[in-house]
Amino acid sequence: MSQTNLGPDRESPTSTPRWVKVLGIVAIVLILLFVILHLTGNGIGCPPPGGLHTPPGCPANTPSGDAGDTPFVTLVDTPPVEHGVQPT
Amino acid sequence: MTMTRGLRKFVLTAHVTFTVGWLGAVAGFLALAVAGLTSQDVQIVRAAYLAMELTARFVIVPLSLAPLLTGPVLSLGTPWGLFRHYWILVKLLITILSTIFLQVHLQPIRYLSSVAAEASLSSADLRLQIQMVVAASAGLLALLVATTLAVYKPRGMTPYGWRKQHEQRTESLAEDAAI
Repeated sequence: MSQTNLGPDRESPTSTPRWVKVLGIVAIVLILLFVILHLTGNGIGCPPPGGLHTPPGCPANTPSGDAGDTPFVTLVDTPPVEHGVQPT
Repeated sequence: MTMTRGLRKFVLTAHVTFTVGWLGAVAGFLALAVAGLTSQDVQIVRAAYLAMELTARFVIVPLSLAPLLTGPVLSLGTPWGLFRHYWILVKLLITILSTIFLQVHLQPIRYLSSVAAEASLSSADLRLQIQMVVAASAGLLALLVATTLAVYKPRGMTPYGWRKQHEQRTESLAEDAAI
């Protein structure tokens, strides 16, 4: 019985173990879930519009778009305030 | 290329330390994320998100990058190889995907931390807070799977592994026949 010491060699080289297939299916499901969440607007990174803050790299709530780096973003349009101008 | 016994032990120790440390750090991160989401105490919420940012930046990120170096070095320096066994390949994929997943989440972590430092979190931030708990849970699960694979080493050779094993056996038989 020369095959008794071969152990794993009895498997076919082309056959993938069941645990690999199960993990693969789970991974595909998770990736699909991730993609679906991302496409439906529930993805990672940016908070929903309407919040007071916008993290860097996310679309800003203000038209200027450069307010993302600031900790606070004002949603209400306010007239500009001139600083340093002393009334005469 | 096979490493010497001493070098192999050193790299193995480093690899186990980094991977288990990563697992523990993510578990701590999850505890902070749950505290940040569920606590009614503003100070605890603020402290949780500040600690999460520090933990992610100075503990989890370095611990996630280190196994990407020690893992391949360890497997390539031993007869296990990097692409010969499915469990090693799956573990490598889990490590790479977890690292990418972590990098993607760094931005919302920084965001929550900066908001918590400046003011109270609003209801608009709730989605990100839940996301942190889900992401940390998923990361923890992935790392537990990787640890389990490393301990149990389930059978299964890749086609490449079979080919290499066949080549080595053929060479060995040829050498025996020559003697």
